[in-house]
Amino acid sequence: MIELEGAPLFTLEFGDILVYFTPYTASLFLLALLFTAIVVLSRPERQVEILFGTDACYAKDTSIEELRFRRFMSIACGLATMGAMVSGDVFDYTLFTALVGVTNVGIVAAVKSRHVQNAAFQYGIVALAGTLPLFGGAAIVVASTGTLSILRLAGGTAPGAPLLAKALLTLGVMGEGMAPFYAAKAEMFRAPGAPYVIMCSLSSLLIFLRVIEVVLVI
Amino acid sequence: MIISRISRIISNYGNLMPLFAFACAVLCLLGILMLPVSYHEDQLYRKTQNPDSPLDPYERGGRPLERANITLQYPENSPYAGYVTAYLTPLSLYLASSTLYLGTTIVAHPGGILDEILYNTRGLDTVVESSILFVAFAIGSFIFRRR
Repeated sequence: MIELEGAPLFTLEFGDILVYFTPYTASLFLLALLFTAIVVLSRPERQVEILFGTDACYAKDTSIEELRFRRFMSIACGLATMGAMVSGDVFDYTLFTALVGVTNVGIVAAVKSRHVQNAAFQYGIVALAGTLPLFGGAAIVVASTGTLSILRLAGGTAPGAPLLAKALLTLGVMGEGMAPFYAAKAEMFRAPGAPYVIMCSLSSLLIFLRVIEVVLVI
Repeated sequence: MIISRISRIISNYGNLMPLFAFACAVLCLLGILMLPVSYHEDQLYRKTQNPDSPLDPYERGGRPLERANITLQYPENSPYAGYVTAYLTPLSLYLASSTLYLGTTIVAHPGGILDEILYNTRGLDTVVESSILFVAFAIGSFIFRRR
């Protein structure tokens, strides 16, 4: 634990759930915080498409209603990502990850384009199916070790989580964040409104970085 | 060559669900091979079964207005833990003393070890759970109401 991510700088207590900041989790948290601030402050991009071989070009505008909703979803996604980065509890981490998956679907599903919505629908189904290994992994962790606290599991006072639970957790996060499917995410990135769509990518990258840490220490 | 073929397959979003389902199926098969996973007897949130109790399967233990003995991960963070566990409303108390089946309707009654865990020791989980629900409602209503 200490070797991998440094000693906790400070912890925040919510009953049995601890939120802890180590150098590793704090830097991920700051990254999510910074990008959430960018999302709050920035205006969406306007995509310009040029018809090849002609002078014609047209700009795609994001309607104000859609902008508001997608900004709301991006901020919710940023908050969920921040929660997932610093959560010191396996079940709490899986809940935040599920929230990231849902908000990611929301960011792309608000775009009024059939192509993007088809991709968002498939993505939503994967996020839905991903909750099964995700929560299954957390359930096996608590059944086989008797505790959910990452600090307690990492400290060596509880028996280590079985490999199956770690594999299930990782697969669940892959489903929620679509980490290995960035090629398919390109379809969603064709949606106009740059900072919001990038939030999907950043959040899935961050939850994937965190699950690697969780799997290594528990 | 093989990488470009793989990336062509996964770039088609219609293949996402089959790919993920395949990964889940492979992991399930591997998981069956890894069995048995041993059960740790010393559980943090333990549940006991006592068929003679009217509160079964949510037997709470403890006496009202006294602190019940429940196990916690970090007892120093929850100074009032154990008080919710033993609490029953007067109606619930009457039902518990007159029938054997209050435990099956426990969700309608405040108090108990579930409330203790949900709202006292693991309150943050409950907040996040309901946020997931609200966000899902927000997405659904936005898409439904959009012209």
